[in-house]
Amino acid sequence: MTRPQILVGCAVAAIAVVSFTAFLFVDRSYDWALPDGVPLPSVPPDNPMSDAKVALGKRLFYDRRLSVNGAMSCANCHAQALAFTDGLPRSVGATGEMHPRGSMTLVNAAYSARLTWANHLLDTLEVQALTPVFGEQPIEMGMSGRESEMVALLSSDDYYSAAFPKAFPADRDAYSILNVVRATASFVRSIVSFDSPYDRYLRGDEDALQAGPIRGMELFFSERLECFHCHGGFNFTDSSTHADTLVQSVGFHNNGLYNIGGSGLYPPDNTGLYDLTGERRDMGRFKAPSLRNIAVTAPYMHDGSIVSLSGVIEHYERGGRLLPDGPYAGDGSRSPYRSEFVKGFDLTGQEKADLISFLESLTDESVLKDPRFADPFSH
Amino acid sequence: MSCESDVAAVSLTDLRFYIHEVRLLAADGGETAVKLQPGPLWQSEDVALLDFESGAGSCQNGTQQVNTLVRGHAGAGNYTGLRFRVGVPEHLNHADPLLADAPLAYSFMHWHWRTGYKFLRAGVATADDGFWLHLGSSRCEGTATDVKGCRSANRPEIELPSFVPDKHVVVIDLRDLVDGIDLENGIPSDCSSGPAEVECEQPFSALGIDFDSGTRDGIASVFRVGTRE
Repeated sequence: MTRPQILVGCAVAAIAVVSFTAFLFVDRSYDWALPDGVPLPSVPPDNPMSDAKVALGKRLFYDRRLSVNGAMSCANCHAQALAFTDGLPRSVGATGEMHPRGSMTLVNAAYSARLTWANHLLDTLEVQALTPVFGEQPIEMGMSGRESEMVALLSSDDYYSAAFPKAFPADRDAYSILNVVRATASFVRSIVSFDSPYDRYLRGDEDALQAGPIRGMELFFSERLECFHCHGGFNFTDSSTHADTLVQSVGFHNNGLYNIGGSGLYPPDNTGLYDLTGERRDMGRFKAPSLRNIAVTAPYMHDGSIVSLSGVIEHYERGGRLLPDGPYAGDGSRSPYRSEFVKGFDLTGQEKADLISFLESLTDESVLKDPRFADPFSH
Repeated sequence: MSCESDVAAVSLTDLRFYIHEVRLLAADGGETAVKLQPGPLWQSEDVALLDFESGAGSCQNGTQQVNTLVRGHAGAGNYTGLRFRVGVPEHLNHADPLLADAPLAYSFMHWHWRTGYKFLRAGVATADDGFWLHLGSSRCEGTATDVKGCRSANRPEIELPSFVPDKHVVVIDLRDLVDGIDLENGIPSDCSSGPAEVECEQPFSALGIDFDSGTRDGIASVFRVGTRE
């Protein structure tokens, strides 16, 4: 503490406090290349889409220099061929630290009302992008406190020194973390996909689905199986939003994966929404992920603890998972927090095969290969 | 205790925190607000960042710059006490850190997934064990674009009744913060202010906060008055 003293008049440091804007708007100037009838994604008004921004964001997304040791880019955990997931039960950061949860698909993240597995707060890609880059618990890309190094890299690199001013022409100084976030979010937002066999079938191509997936689709949307209550809508999740959404739907559900000791508990590093709210009723509540491209995003659940779609169906068939022994022993079907829609059902072998074939029909092969979303570096 | 001390059994790994609402207390109990002097790295009119780690030795991933001084002014008076609050004021806590100026512009003090700042980060290490604390508001409601407040504010109010500005300094003693936490069992532990974290109870108590409610609950024994050298 300094001695109280009168200081000469000095310039008052203005603190720019601008809240994220709560209202999203429709960006009709950008070509999303969406089929007719598909709603446009919402876009934050302070970060409108542009081709230049998306191109810059793609480069940043694949640039390993944006990690503390040059070991990883966003694409390490979000690989295009796996619908922007990594095939691991739980993801691993640049320094080898394991994340409690698995990486989520980025396909149609633009339509996701909430981001990540269980966080009611995260509603824009711009906010979410900060956690993998700067987060410390766990370390993902490990750039906490290294903003000036990042900005120095961007302004000295040949590609970036042209791309940033082009993407942000109104900015006096375009090289900023803010613009890294805006460009990366724009690229991720551009990864939209509605060309699976299921989508083509809905658009009138009756040959797009065979009899098996059609029977599976009927099962999926039946009250007998209840799948669609949480995985419903155009993006197969009840946490969806789009430009014309009037009432935003957000859902977090306990699907009976754990019931440690019969008291409803989840493993301490993965308690779902409870981790943020501390409300017991939020124990084990996770977002229902989109089922688009689900066949290529194994293993399943927030912690990758179910390896196959067949195992997932058996889980729901039983109405929760029984772990007979080990530290997490318990019968998930008896959890006091289990969703009312996870109540179990019986399927014949044929029905199960049909349901799996329907889930496989949600894979859009084009988004897994589309050069618009592919690695621009020759890694 | 410092980052580079190689004699102590316990070394510092981190100590950075924000303070605001600095007030001097007159002998008659009256409060006078100290006007913070805005500066380029550490202070705005609203909040000051103190940084006791040097990025060297046991303080990995820190910053070289340190700041152990809060600068401000109050009118002349006979002051015999000090109050201040640890943390970032609520009206600044949920703004976009990428649009903020110093000292609210640093990624290492922001908690993106909790949509607010780390008010205080402190850590100690022994040879094969350690403890760290990240203090900030938790149980927040709304969304990142529209935070509706946080049910656990977790802003410690510090009161030092025998503080005379030209005689005393504020001393931070981390012993109470880790009192009762085993630093020799080889299992590092931490508290990141989450509602379910039992490891938070001791450090919160040492900061005078009730862990369940996030409100003031006694003396913050981590802070005390020392003699100015």
